[in-house]
Parts: sequence; structure tokens; C-alpha cells
Amino acid sequence: MTEAAPYVYVPDFGAEAERLTPIELPVTKAVYKVALPGVLQVGADTLLAISRKSSLWPMTFGLACCAIEMMGTFMSNHDLDRFGIVPWPSPRQSDVMIVSGTVTKKMAPAIKLLYEQMPNPKYVISMGACATNGGPYTEYDRVLQGVDKIIPVDVYVPGCPPRPEALLDGFLALQRKIMEDKRMVG
Amino acid sequence: MSIWPDEKVLTPGEAEFDTVDMTINIGPQHPATHGVFRMILRVDGEVVVDCEPYIGYLHRGLEKLTEANDYRQAMGYWDRTDYLAGMACEHAYVMAVEALAQIDVPERAEYIRVIMAELSRINSHFLFLGAFGADVGSFGTSFIYAWRERERIYDLFEEVAGDRMFPTYMRVGGVAMDLPDNFEQRCRWLLGSIRQGIEDLDGLLTGNEIFVERCRNLAPMTSERAIALGITGPILRSTGLPWDLRKAEPYSVYDRMKFDIPWRPDLQGDVFDRFWMRLSEMYQSARIIEQCLEQMPKGGLVLNPDLPKTLRVDNGEAYIRYEGTKGEYGVYAMSKGGNKPYRMKLRSPSFCNLSALREMVIGSYVADAIIILGSLDIVLGEVDK
Amino acid sequence: MSNKAPARSGGLPPAARQRPRADLAALVRKIGSIPFEVSETRTDVDVRIAPEHLLALVDALHNRHELAFDYLRNISGVDQSPEGMELKYHFYSFKTGYSLQVTVPTATGHPHVPSLTGHYPAADWHEREAAEMFGFVFDGHPNLRNLLLEEDIHIHPLLKAHPLQAAEILQGIESGPPGFTI
Repeated sequence: MTEAAPYVYVPDFGAEAERLTPIELPVTKAVYKVALPGVLQVGADTLLAISRKSSLWPMTFGLACCAIEMMGTFMSNHDLDRFGIVPWPSPRQSDVMIVSGTVTKKMAPAIKLLYEQMPNPKYVISMGACATNGGPYTEYDRVLQGVDKIIPVDVYVPGCPPRPEALLDGFLALQRKIMEDKRMVG
Repeated sequence: MSIWPDEKVLTPGEAEFDTVDMTINIGPQHPATHGVFRMILRVDGEVVVDCEPYIGYLHRGLEKLTEANDYRQAMGYWDRTDYLAGMACEHAYVMAVEALAQIDVPERAEYIRVIMAELSRINSHFLFLGAFGADVGSFGTSFIYAWRERERIYDLFEEVAGDRMFPTYMRVGGVAMDLPDNFEQRCRWLLGSIRQGIEDLDGLLTGNEIFVERCRNLAPMTSERAIALGITGPILRSTGLPWDLRKAEPYSVYDRMKFDIPWRPDLQGDVFDRFWMRLSEMYQSARIIEQCLEQMPKGGLVLNPDLPKTLRVDNGEAYIRYEGTKGEYGVYAMSKGGNKPYRMKLRSPSFCNLSALREMVIGSYVADAIIILGSLDIVLGEVDK
Repeated sequence: MSNKAPARSGGLPPAARQRPRADLAALVRKIGSIPFEVSETRTDVDVRIAPEHLLALVDALHNRHELAFDYLRNISGVDQSPEGMELKYHFYSFKTGYSLQVTVPTATGHPHVPSLTGHYPAADWHEREAAEMFGFVFDGHPNLRNLLLEEDIHIHPLLKAHPLQAAEILQGIESGPPGFTI
């Protein structure tokens, strides 16, 4: 009687040994790039600028017709939330004020008060022709010819009213501006 | 009953110390005031005792600037008054100038105007449903639902007229250009989408118990009081009086349209009835648009061919009453020769509806005051002119 | 001129063409006892009356059964310098469907008109606006303060004498930093 050869399990891994060798890390000056390879190293000012631009919370300050297009930019079709832009009603907790609409001389003190209530760093986007220089209503003497007569403005978005894509472009321009100003304090 | 022998037991409504009414400023910048509107409420606890509205934060000089520009340029100011429904305001303005100058409009242009005006009305009512739902408490859901349909209507406006909100598409004597070739099929698709959108908002809000409990029996109004106060539009219709300028004093081609004025026997003019009235009106507007698509002549001029290059109008005056989205949008026009209007006054529905705010709000809670303001559906461009 | 349609009713809404304006003119003339002139505008019947007789006319319009004008639509001021200013009232009756315009001319320098707030509560805000825009004084109005303009400003923007401001032509960094020039 022949004895069946006992089954010996021999796994075959093929060429796996080459695939699973660890990568060659380049030798750099930063020690933690070798020891902790997932860490991003930037200067503190760049880091602050990136975090400021990625989470701009606008104060909902709709004055007139541009407010409707601003609301349209916040809604699902031209979503602004994907850029980290969350509309926030309170000036004390917002970063950017979108002045959308005609500024009248009766409203100007309220705008100045709201701008002062915002904490630094704060930015202002002047949306539409009326907030830029009075727009179509510039000749009436109760209209302030542009909001830059009372508060400093960072980005001007032209249009009457500007399309949602134009306001989006304004926000991207503001983000570029924040990155350029990254060494600014305050 | 009190467990302490010498403690006084109070009956409800009786205070044991002197209270002072608190004054709250609901300022020009506020997420719930639908624009730059300010009210100062005097409250006793949570109940509103007095209310003083302050307007004029958007007073941009519509009437003065209209006198400084000629008839064609001035239209750009008028469509920015009710900025939720630009083309409806343009329609009222060109009707006033045509009445002054005695200019006829081709029939195809009349139908196109009615389609654009009714789509603007649906546009404005969608924003009302969205914003009112947000006021009552749905916080963002109703707003986003409403904007889905509004973006589709804006896309259609852009295809036909060139711009989303203020295309200045209407001209004195017709419209600027003819409709694109695929308009009818696009419009029918849009109407199907609009009906679906209204049903979505209806399902979200009308049957919602919280919504109904908050809105029913809040600030009811009788028709006589509404007429005396000058209130028109959906608010007047919600008091039970089925009066619509498109049926009572018809203009354009509305006398050939079959549509109903929504009515229920138990209408009492409260906040829920105003919401229900605007919701039901949207279905009627969709019906009007479908009838226009069927009855419209299939070709022909869209602008009166005998118009001169500069429009000069003889002496005269006219008062055109138009059923705007908020009520009676009246345009009083006076001309003394020349190519510029001498005086054009806007009788704005939101201005008149807002003057009734004070008596509606007194006696309700602060949160209800916000809903009552929302149910008036004001647009500050009209109020402040 | 070629923009006039051959028929006189061109350009008007169909309701204005059909409404029997002659009926209304006859009814109004029957009021008697108050001196006024009846004429026609493009869309309405117009009654021209002096300010001192206005309340009597409004009493008749409001109370007579065949007129029953219960809805005050609109009050507009018109600056007719140098002859003075005018007020245009528009009324509507829900019962009869008639629509009426009343013109009240005032002399230069004496713009006093009785207030209609007793008969029509709707007149409240309309009169405040006409007062601040033109300078009318409505005798008997309970609260004649500025509505659209600031409280402490006393100008009348809609008068023809009130100027427009110049648009700024040069803006931008070439012309200097933005400043407040009032």
C-alpha cells in the first residue's frame, strides 16, 4: 500500500516582495519630512492666509436688487458653500461684508456702524454698480455715490446686477488678494 | 393657593411690581426684514404694544430721475422698483407711455408681454414662499426649493430677453425682439417644472402642523378695513373679496383669458390665508401662460413699425392701474410735450400695504410680528421708490 | 405725426375704451353746490376743484349712494411752477366700478390743503410723502413727519427747482484716493 504524500501547503506570492518594499524617501533638510511624511510645511503667514481665504463668512447685507443675485449665488445652483463661504447674519462673527445695492445717505450711518462692529481681519466687496459709484441712481442727491466714500473696499464687482458667476469671480479675486497680502498683520 | 400665610396670590394679568415697556429696534440690517426696513417695537414682556415703521433707506429717486431722462431711458429705473418681477414693472410703464402717446401694440407682442409678466409674477411668488417659510421656521429648506425654480425661470428670461432680472425687453409699442424658435417647447417644459416646484413647496408648508398653528388666526382683516386702508393684491383677495385688476379693469389681452380668482368660503384675511392665496395664484398664472401659448398668433410684428426715432408725446395725463405682483401697481403719467415725461408717479402696492402694518402687529408677540411682516410680502424698491 | 393711431382710442387698455365715462361725468355734475370743472384725461374723468371745497366734494363722493367712492388709490403732487403746485387724487368705487381723478391746484407760496385722513385712512402715508417731496401742508393730518427722507432734513426733492447732483466722471486710483466730498 502506497502512502499518499501528505499535503503541504506552499503559498506562492509571486513578485510581491518587490511591490511591497517601502518607497525611497529623498533626504531633505527637514527632519520631520522623513519621520512624519504626511505633514505640510508652510510659513505661518501662508497658513494664516490660506485659512482666512478658505472660510470667508459674509455678513448678509442685501440692500436692493443685487441682494437677490447674491442670494442666488448662495443657493444650490451656483453654490458658494463649496468655497467655505457661509452667509452669516451677525456682523460680530463675519469676515466679509458684501454691500449689495444702492447706498443712500439715510443708510450710510448704519453701514458705518456695521463695518465697525466687524472684527479684524475684515474685507468689503462692493457688489454692483450702485455700491461702486452710485450706479444708475448716481445723479439723485439722496444717493451716496459709492460705498467707498465711507468704508474701504477691497473688491469691486461690476454689473447691474452682476451675475452669480461674477460675484463668484469677485470672491475668487478676494481670495487671491488675501494670499497676496499674507504678510499683513491685522 | 399659597403656602406662605401673608403672600399675595396674583390673578393672571396682574403684576406685583411696576413694569416698563421695552423698546426693540429691528434695524435696517436684519435677516428677516426682507430688505432695508426698520421698525421700532415697544413691547410689554413679549406682547407688542406699539410699532413704528421707518422706511426710506432705499429712496433712490425714481420719480426725479424719470423726469430727467426720456421715455426710453426711464424704463431702466422702473423695472428696478419691484426687483423680484422686473418685467411686470416694465409692462406697467410701457402701458402708461402708450396710453399717453396713443400708440398701438401688435397682438403678438401683447401675448409675449403677458407671458413675461406672468412668469415674473410666478418668480416673485416663489421668493415669497421661500422667504416666508424661512421666517416661520423652515430656516433654509423652503428658500432653496424656491430658488431651484427661480433659476430655471431666469434661464428662460436670459434666452428670450438677454438678461436675468432687468432685461428692458418691453418697448413702447411692443417688445424688443421676437421669441426664439424653441420657445414654446421650452416654456411648456418650464411650466411642468414650475408646477412640480409649487407642489414641493405646498407639501413642505401647507400641511405642516407647526406652520398652520403659527399662521392661522394671526392678524385677521376684514375687506372693508382693507379697502379703507388702501390694501390691494393678494392681501385684499385673502379677506374674501375676489377683486383682481386683471378681471375688474382688464388691460392687454387678459379679457380673453380664462382664469379663476382663488376663493374659499372661510377666508378671514389672516396670515395663512395670504400664504394660501399666493400659492393658489401661481397655478392660475401657469394656466394663463398656457392659454397665451395656444392663442398667440404664429408670426407677425412684435413692435409697432410706425414709431419715430425719438418719441415725442403731446400734452396729457393718464393713470394706468396694473395688477402687479403685490397689488395695484399704478403709474400716473403726465406729459407736457417733448421727449421727457413731466411727471410720473408710482402708486406702489407695497407702500400702501405696509402702512397697515402697525394695526396688524399691535397685540401679537414679537415672533408673530416678524411673520406678519413677511406675509405682507413687501419689496423695498417699491416702498421707497 | 405717424405715431398717432388713426382712432382716438389707440393705446388704451380695453376697459378704458368701454367704460362709459360720460355717465360718470353726468353723475359728478349732479353734485352741484360746489364749483368745479369736469374734463377728461386719457384714462379717467377729471374734476378740478379749489382746496377750500375739497372736503365738501370728498364728503359727496364718499357718502352718495350712486357714487360710493370708497377706495383712495393714489395721491400725487405735481410741480407746475411758476403757477403753483397741484395734487391729483385718484378714487375708485367697488360698488359701481367707476374711477375718478380729482385735481386740486394750490397757489405758489400757499400750499395748504385739507387732509383726507378722516375719510380715508389710506391717505396717511400718501400725504406724508407728498408733503416732504413737494412741501404741501395738509391741515388736520395727525403725524406730518418725513417718511422717505431723514427726520431732520427739510428739502423738497421733487420740485423742479431742486437740482440733481453731478455724476463723478473720474474715479479710480488716477484721480486720488476715495474721499467724502459732500
